[in-house]
Amino acid sequence: MNARQRHEARSAYAMLLPSLIGVIGFLLLPVLIVLALSFMRWNLISPPEWIGLENYAYILTWPRFGNSLLVTGLFVLMAIPASIAIGLLLAIAINRGLPGTSWLRVLYVLPWVCAPLALGVVWKWIFDPTNGALNAILGRRIEWLTDPDLALPAVVFVQIWSTVGYISLFFLAGLQQIPRAVYEAAMLDGAGSVRTLVSITLPLLRPTMFFVTVTSVISSFQVFDSIYAMTGGGPAFRTDVIAARIYDEAFVGLRLGRAAAMAVVLFVVLVGVTLVQQRYFQRRITYDMS
Amino acid sequence: MTEPTRTRRSATASWGSSRLFANVLTYAFLIAGGLLMLGPFVFSVMTSLKTPKQFNTSWPLTPPAPVTGENFAALFSEQYNFVVPIAVTAQVVLVLVVGQMLTSILAAYAFAQLQFPGRDTLFWVYLSTLMIPAVVTVIPLYSMMTSLGLKNSFAGLVVPFLFGSPYAIFLLRENFRSTPSDVLDAAKIDGAGVLRRLWQVMVPMNKPILATLLLITVVSQWNNFMWPLIIAPAPEWNVITVATAALQTQYNGNWTLVMAATTIALAPLVILFLVFQKQITSSLGVTGVR
Repeated sequence: MNARQRHEARSAYAMLLPSLIGVIGFLLLPVLIVLALSFMRWNLISPPEWIGLENYAYILTWPRFGNSLLVTGLFVLMAIPASIAIGLLLAIAINRGLPGTSWLRVLYVLPWVCAPLALGVVWKWIFDPTNGALNAILGRRIEWLTDPDLALPAVVFVQIWSTVGYISLFFLAGLQQIPRAVYEAAMLDGAGSVRTLVSITLPLLRPTMFFVTVTSVISSFQVFDSIYAMTGGGPAFRTDVIAARIYDEAFVGLRLGRAAAMAVVLFVVLVGVTLVQQRYFQRRITYDMS
Repeated sequence: MTEPTRTRRSATASWGSSRLFANVLTYAFLIAGGLLMLGPFVFSVMTSLKTPKQFNTSWPLTPPAPVTGENFAALFSEQYNFVVPIAVTAQVVLVLVVGQMLTSILAAYAFAQLQFPGRDTLFWVYLSTLMIPAVVTVIPLYSMMTSLGLKNSFAGLVVPFLFGSPYAIFLLRENFRSTPSDVLDAAKIDGAGVLRRLWQVMVPMNKPILATLLLITVVSQWNNFMWPLIIAPAPEWNVITVATAALQTQYNGNWTLVMAATTIALAPLVILFLVFQKQITSSLGVTGVR
């Protein structure tokens, strides 16, 4: 290494220093701390006490944690396929380029820039049984957020409502990369619109599909703000998603060790889900579009 | 050569009538979707402009007559004091935007343009932290901040997120790498140091992506909820989302007042989005995550 290279390396390390504080101090260190806390009993008042695997043994047999995993799974399974299907339809519809439709996409993306908490509060009013907008339109009294059978579908609906526009933007970008010639060839071969969608559009959108699925699954697994605003996890824990359970254990119940153990389990589940999705999409044939 | 032409023409003719049908369907779908997206915003603002009496005695969706500003006046009065959350949120957003942009630009430049030992390993470490979910770090960050005595303080709100974001660094590095190197080399030959090359060449050449990143940071920080809720629950340190949630819990059913609060929480970003929507939507395909 000559003097000039040494100088360059020194400036590089100096420039990386602030972000290294962030990455080490506020991302990697917290992961180690949460792992350590998951083996401890801690209520914020008395000092943490090492209890080994007790937290894990407890939560893995705890029906309420099982319920949260189930609720989160159902939430993801209901929200993701619907928002991807609707997002794709929106993208295809916008991509047809009909006059006056391109500005509409601004409306669809609007919820994405808004605070999920504030949107959750707005939807809580819309779902309000007595004074809410929805029942006023329907002319009936339906307990959207307090009926145990309706609460989860209702919060799933809000999730779909707030993510479809954002998802459609990615599909739109993907659709615009498909060469026109491919469609013209399909048309000459006499392929109908359904056939074109299944045999051409969907396979060519695979990279977009992968990206959208992975990011949506990861964010849906962590959904918190809108649920906090609309149901707070109720009624009867029917919308008690995993993030809400972790928050409740840690900061309402003051059982931080147990909450840390649940956070570790969530982390492992999310890494697992990402790897499985990666394998699934890699196994299917990929097309070279260059 | 005549045969294929004829087949093609007849195919186009039958395609024409189904095309009209498809166009009508597309318009219906896109407009219905647009109304569904816009509805909650319009109805919540309408409600915020009604007196409680007007709201309780008329159909929930009738326009306010006369329009009243009394809910907003009440929110800014001594009783609810919404000036505080707006001021706290504005300061948090400002400090975090400056901090994150500066640290991310410095780190991205080092990774993209400088040679130093350990560069690839270090970048891989940064990338892997993208997998760490926010819900997982919330408990350890809380224990770190409280042990530093930073609960209910401005520092508690900003310190964990001040030192850049791996996502922004990743995004900027990609853009800095594809910046043509001849301009940078010319500056180097002219004797410009690393920092001068960064601020006078790299930053001006990458204005669009930096603007996008700035907007994304403003949006995500203004909307942040879980961390402020946990670290700063005291009213004098409430950000706008936490204040809105608290108001909703405390004055449940007082929808005209609560909708005024959500309007305040949503309006700045909706306006920001409408002004910069081209910038935001066109760059999403490149940027990916919020």
